Amino acid sequence: MPIVQAQALGKWYGQVIGLNGFALRVMPGITGIVGPNGSGKSTFFKLILGLIKPNAGSISVLGKIPWKNAQLHSSIGFCPDYESLPADSTGREYLTLIGKLQMMHGTALSKRIQEVVKLVEMERAIDRKTGGYSKGMKQRMKIAGALLHDPKLLILDEPLSGTDPLVRKDLIDLIKMLNRDHGHDVIVSSHVLFEIERMTQSVALVYRGRAVASGDISEIRNLMDRHPHNIIIEGERATALAKVLLDQDYVVSVAFNDNKDSLTVQVSKPDDFFNGLPALIDKAQCSVSKMYSLDDNLEAVFRYLVGR
Amino acid sequence: MDMKRVFVGIQALTFYSTKKLLFGKKAIITILVALFVAAVMGYAGSQSKAPLEDGTNLMDTLILFFFMPVMAMIFGSSLIRDEIDDKSITLVATAPLDRAFSYLGYYLPLGIATAISMVAISTVGWLAFFGQHGMGSDELGLYLEIVALVVIGSFVYSSLFLAISVLFNKPILFGLFYAFIWEGYIGSLPGAIQNASVKHYLRSLGSEWVKFGDISRWDQASSAWGSAALLIALTVFLLVLGAYLFREKELA
Repeated sequence: MPIVQAQALGKWYGQVIGLNGFALRVMPGITGIVGPNGSGKSTFFKLILGLIKPNAGSISVLGKIPWKNAQLHSSIGFCPDYESLPADSTGREYLTLIGKLQMMHGTALSKRIQEVVKLVEMERAIDRKTGGYSKGMKQRMKIAGALLHDPKLLILDEPLSGTDPLVRKDLIDLIKMLNRDHGHDVIVSSHVLFEIERMTQSVALVYRGRAVASGDISEIRNLMDRHPHNIIIEGERATALAKVLLDQDYVVSVAFNDNKDSLTVQVSKPDDFFNGLPALIDKAQCSVSKMYSLDDNLEAVFRYLVGR
Repeated sequence: MDMKRVFVGIQALTFYSTKKLLFGKKAIITILVALFVAAVMGYAGSQSKAPLEDGTNLMDTLILFFFMPVMAMIFGSSLIRDEIDDKSITLVATAPLDRAFSYLGYYLPLGIATAISMVAISTVGWLAFFGQHGMGSDELGLYLEIVALVVIGSFVYSSLFLAISVLFNKPILFGLFYAFIWEGYIGSLPGAIQNASVKHYLRSLGSEWVKFGDISRWDQASSAWGSAALLIALTVFLLVLGAYLFREKELA
């Protein structure tokens, strides 16, 4: 049974469309919501939490409609992508308020606060004002707040944004552990596919207010691979390389750039191209000093998926 | 509806927000106003030949009908609006407490914090003025009457400015207009138009209680019971309106 189900969901703010015809079923486990900034990920999360109401379509979360359904918040923990910690409060005051609003109190609440701050490794900073926390510490404290009442569903909106690589790795490990060891279902968003790839195989791609693809990440990868790639190759004797490249069936076109040492190669099967390239370089007796893909990124895949 | 959850939630919010209002950055405003009132009333006290009359008039105009709506506006216009603007409202908006009750969890601390601040300011002003002339039972009686009016006014004005903060995106502008133009000017005009201000009904209550100063001889007063009933009805109406608006509000 899906934990979140959206059908023909629409949300707009005046002239600005947040979501339009958004349809998605999120199953238990970790699900990654991937899309560029402004694609509608946060709007989707706000609809899940009932912070805003849809203009069209429907959404159900854990089988219930979220708008004006405060009881649902007992089962959801939310870590927003924006700074939401009250700067004048300490971490302990922040968690205590959340706990009391979740009907936790006394020693049970104190014990649970200790557990979650230990889990997110914030024991030493819990009595400091949150206004003085680093970005990574704020993210951890927000996750602690989301976890405090042990909710069934965790909504983590861009939890890795703005964090350094070490914190990022720790947070990824933490999110995986929350699902694996603590049984939380997690919906996590990012605009970076490989970050999501390290957490889960289940993803949904969101672009311009629509869920353009969802499913196993390998299928998304296949889509990326089927999408013709434009690759720039720079080096000596590029003309000879162009000649041998044109004989390959996976090469769609070859074009010279500003000078004869730079080529743009369009390929239909990037994996075959990259596997075969060393042999072709050898055959053409050329040298390659630089090579990069123009569109090995999500934006290109999104454009491809929506046919633009 | 789980009333225990509602009660615990309101209690938690009340404790948290009262502390924030009284000991947060806005505490400096209370201290500055108290110092200003102490200076003005202290100087007036040193020059006064009829302390009970002069002291009552000063507490009436300076504290009750100037600083009280202003302080309620400063606290009330910003409490919810600041949290919406800095997005810390997410904490309350994602709690399992119906937003109508969360609104009450903002109103109570606002009323309490405004009342505590105004009682502190009134006490400082009263001490600064009457401390120079001796404090007998008349002065103490006046103090208690002013404090009672300040507490009632704090809760009425809080309901007004909190509703304004949910209704408008720039509540401070509307609050300034209301506090200075409507309450300050319209509320002082002769004739029936002043009946459309909170000040009129508070003053009507005061004219029934206070035995000194201009307020005791005020001939435009409405009946005390009618004024009390109207202030209660207005507070309840504003609370219901504010709670409804807050419940319907999208927190994007």
